[in-house]
Formats: sequence, structure tokens, C-alpha cells
Amino acid sequence: MLAIDARDVTKTFRSGWLRRRETHALRGVSLAVPRGAIWGLLGPNGAGKTTLLSILATLLTPDGGSVTVLGHDVLREAAALRHRLNMASGRPSFLWSLRVDEIIAFYGRLYGLHGAALRRRVDELVELCELVPFRRVQYSELSTGLKQRVALAKSLVNDPELLFLDEPTLGLDPDVSVRVRQHIARLRREQGITIVLTTHYMREAEELCDEIAFIKAGRIPARGTPGELKRQIRLGEVIALKLDPAAVEWLAEAPGVLRCAEAGGWVECTVDEAEKRLPELLRALHADGVVVKNVQVREPDLEEVFVELAK
Amino acid sequence: MNWRNELLAVWAVAVRNALMASRNVFFFFELLFWPIVGVVSIGLMTRFLELTPEQASFVLIGTIALSVVNVCQLEVAYAVLMDVWSKSLKHQFLAPIGIRHLTLGSWLVGIARGLAIFVLLAAFGWWAFGFAVLAPGLPAVAVFVFGCFLTAWIVGVAVCALITLFGNRAEAFAWASVNLVLVLAGLYYPVSVLPESLGAVAAAIPLTYFLDAYRAHFGFASEFRAPIATGLALGALYTALAHWAFFAAIRRARRTGLLLKMSE
Ligand SMILES: Nc1ncnc2c1ncn2[C@@H]1O[C@H](COP(=O)(O)OP(=O)(O)O)[C@@H](O)[C@H]1O
Ligand SMILES: [Mg+2]
Repeated sequence: MLAIDARDVTKTFRSGWLRRRETHALRGVSLAVPRGAIWGLLGPNGAGKTTLLSILATLLTPDGGSVTVLGHDVLREAAALRHRLNMASGRPSFLWSLRVDEIIAFYGRLYGLHGAALRRRVDELVELCELVPFRRVQYSELSTGLKQRVALAKSLVNDPELLFLDEPTLGLDPDVSVRVRQHIARLRREQGITIVLTTHYMREAEELCDEIAFIKAGRIPARGTPGELKRQIRLGEVIALKLDPAAVEWLAEAPGVLRCAEAGGWVECTVDEAEKRLPELLRALHADGVVVKNVQVREPDLEEVFVELAK
Repeated sequence: MNWRNELLAVWAVAVRNALMASRNVFFFFELLFWPIVGVVSIGLMTRFLELTPEQASFVLIGTIALSVVNVCQLEVAYAVLMDVWSKSLKHQFLAPIGIRHLTLGSWLVGIARGLAIFVLLAAFGWWAFGFAVLAPGLPAVAVFVFGCFLTAWIVGVAVCALITLFGNRAEAFAWASVNLVLVLAGLYYPVSVLPESLGAVAAAIPLTYFLDAYRAHFGFASEFRAPIATGLALGALYTALAHWAFFAAIRRARRTGLLLKMSE
């Protein structure tokens, strides 16, 4: 069962009164997100991540294509859909003068909570998002990290089946980011919420997501599990060698070697297939009288995949 | 339609507006300072000009109506404006609520504030200048203040529509156009003194009729045949139009991305 089924979604923003400017934010994007997944949308700034998320969350209407979310058409059944989803942004903004618990309660009422149930929900969320000492503090006086926790609390107020997180760890200290990520993973594990998050941090996507789509200039050129993506992009694998003598000229031209680079006393050869090329390289090096002092084989980082794709 | 959820959403907006009003540093000025300054200056002016008590009441009713409408319309506009200023507009349109909840909830708070102002200014006018603003009795007063609130609702919703249509830039323009309309409603003079073309504009404004009906109790001949019915009919028509405009503006903002742009 799909939580999101979007096909060929397009969106163009038009701006400017005198000089009309068109921004093709989405140029035909399709995606299928199964229920219960954590799904990552990864891409550089301006790629169209927020635009896509906003369309899925009914904040923006698509120009073309079809979008079904939780079985509802986003254009015709937006009202019913809004009860079942929610969204939080890493750049949150709420009414300045309201206090933390007032903000959560306000949105809770909009989703139909009241009385004791509302109070209980506010208490739960304040607890869950570690906001207990701040519940009577005005929003404008909170730090960025606390504001983001308020945004997360607000986004859970209606017990959403589907949660959109737009760059949830943007600008957070590393230790806070780690906690937010643990939190996100727990939401899915314990409550079965389907989560779609955008990020431009590879590690985050790799750590959290079952599946990742790369989005760039309004298109999704690649998608899959983190492992699949690396293979799909065919970045190859890296064989790092410590040699004596330190540099060997012919290595870059050896069969199966895509490129070679030197880094910190290591020669890093990117090869198409490590398992096949490693024995060949070792034999050739031995024959050449080069001493191999150390060898490491590793998969390329998703970071490298990303750099490659973003070119 | 689920009535409990309807009321709850209206209540949510009302609570929020009331909380924000209670923390607004300008609240004091909006609620007390300017209205009282207005009544004092008008009161002193009527003495200087040696107006009859009837004429003085005529002018004072206009001043009080303006204050009530202003405070109430501002509160209605806050339904959107506060969120625009805080860049949090998208959250309430992500939630399953309609614009009726926003406009009704904020109107309720506007009515509460408007009533407070009305009572205060009436009492102040009586104490300082001996104006008997409440003399026509409760039913007439109720119709009059309702007319003020209805006008304020229309104006406030229209401001919301303009802001969601044109973005924050429209704010100043929205207020200016609104005040222009109010001045034409014959706040300080009978509509009959207006040139014919402006008189036609005044005749299209609901507040004109409620002022006219109320002033009839102070001995001024009514300029219209059935002012209250006409005022209510026009008010209902504009209420519907303003809400439709607001609805259309939100739908457009979802299409153009303005809803997002105003939230970042
Ligand atoms: N509301 C909007 N109005 C006009 N242009 C927009 C709007 N939102 C986004 N854009 C443009 O669309 C493109 C994609 O933006 P966005 O989806 O925000 O990217 P991302 O979230 O990946 O950084 C950008 O060029 C941006 O300037
Ligand atoms: Mg973005």
C-alpha cells in the first residue's frame, strides 16, 4: 500500500510584474512511497525539495501530473487529507508572542482536540520533545534548536499518519542533530508513521532512510536504497594502498582503474569492481617490485555520489 | 459538517487572537488611548463651535463608530496579519480549517474589544461632556453596534483577502482604501452634503445606514426609507463577497506559491 503515489508532477513559479520570470521548480517528478517507510529527498539548495513537499502536503497546487496521498487526490480531497498529515520545517516560524504550550494547543484545537484530551496531548508532546522546562516560555525567546523541537511537537499534534520534515536538522549542533535523528527513527519504529524528509546532508539520509531520491533542478535522476544508489551511479569502489615507493606511475592506467588520487600517504584507486581488481593489482605491483605495506577497500561515500550527481 | 469541530476551530482562533491581544504592547493604545483622544478632541471642538447638543451627539456618534469599527476590523485582519508578520501563515492552512473559522474567531474577539470601547467611550463622553450616547435605549444601541461590527467584519475580511492576494506589500494600501471608504460613510456629516457621485458611494456602504438609523433617535430626519433593513441586506451581501474574495485569494496563493513565500 502506497502512502504517496505521485506521477509526472510539474510546477512552475511565475514572478515579477514587469519582467516576468519563470522558475521551473519541478519538471516531471514521480515517486512512490510505501507506508511505514522513511523516505529521503536529497538535493542541493533550490533543487525543488520544499516545492515537492509542499505539493504533497496540499500547501501548493501542482501544475501538472497526478498526486495521490494516503489514497486522497491532493486537489479534490485536500480537506480530508489535511486531517491525516502534518509537516515541520527546520526553519520554523510560529506566532512570536505565544508560549510553547499555547502554540501546541492552538494547532491541536484546529485538528479537533479539546478539553482533557487536548491537555493530555500537549503534556505528552512537551514531554516527548523535551520541552518541559520551556512550556511557558514565549516562542520568540527560544533558541533555534528549541524552536525546531516546538515545530516537531506541533507536527505530531494530530497523530499524523504521514509526516513531512523539511530539513529537520538544519543549523543544529551535531549532538542535537543526532538526537533529532534518533527521534525520527523512533517515531517510525514505535508509531509506524510514514516519514518523508528532505535534507542536503548525506549522512542523515544514509542513516535514516530506507530509500532515497536525488532531486536536482526539478528532476529525480536517481533513486533507491543507499546501497543501490551507489551501484546505480557506478561510482565504483575505492582501493586504498600504502606503497613503497609511495607513487607508482602506471597504476592509473591499469585495467579497471577509473582514477587514482593521493591522499595522506595513501594512493586511492577507484575501480569498477574491487573483488576482481584487487588481486590483479597486487600481482602487478608485486611483479614491479613495489612493496604493498597496507591495503583498504571501501565503498564510496554517499557524499561522493552526491558530488558526482550535483555536477 | 461536524458542529463541534466547527465551533472548536472558531474557538481556537478566538483564543489565539485573545492571547496575542493581551500581549500586544500596542493594545493599550489601540483600545484606550486613541479612541479617548478622539472623543476628547471632538468634544472640545463641538464646544468651540457652539454646536447644539443634537449636533454634538451627531458628531460624537460618528467618532465612536469609527473607533469601534477600527478596533474590530484590526482584530479581524489580525487573523492573517499576525501570521504574516510571524511568517507562520502556512501552518494554519496546512490544518483542516476553513476561512470561516479564521474570520469568525477573530471577529468574536473584535466584537469583545469593540464592545469594551463602545461602553468606555459612551461613559467617557457622558462624564466629560454630558453626551447621552446611550439615550435611544438598548435595542437601538444593539442594532447600531451590530452595524459597526458587521462593517468591521467586512472590512477586516477584505483586508485579509488583499493581503493574501498581493502579499505584505498590500498592507498599507489595504488600510488606506478601507479608511477612505469609512470616511465616506458620513461619520461627521449627513451623507446629503456629499457631491452626488460620492453620495452614491456612501449609499453603498452599510455603516451609512446604521449611523442614519441611530441618529434618527436624536432628532435627525432619516435620509433613507428603511435604513436598518438596507444596511443589513448590504452587509450580508458584502460579507458573502468578502469571504468569497478571501477564499479565492487563498486558493490563488496556493497556486502561485505566495502562501509559502509569506511563510519564509
Ligand atoms: N513560493 C515561491 N515563489 C517563487 N519561486 C519559488 C517559490 N518557492 C520556491 N521557488 C523557486 O523554486 C526553486 C526550487 O525551490 P525549493 O523547492 O525551495 O528548493 P529546495 O527546497 O530544494 O532548496 C528555486 O529556484 C526557488 O527560488
Ligand atoms: Mg527547501
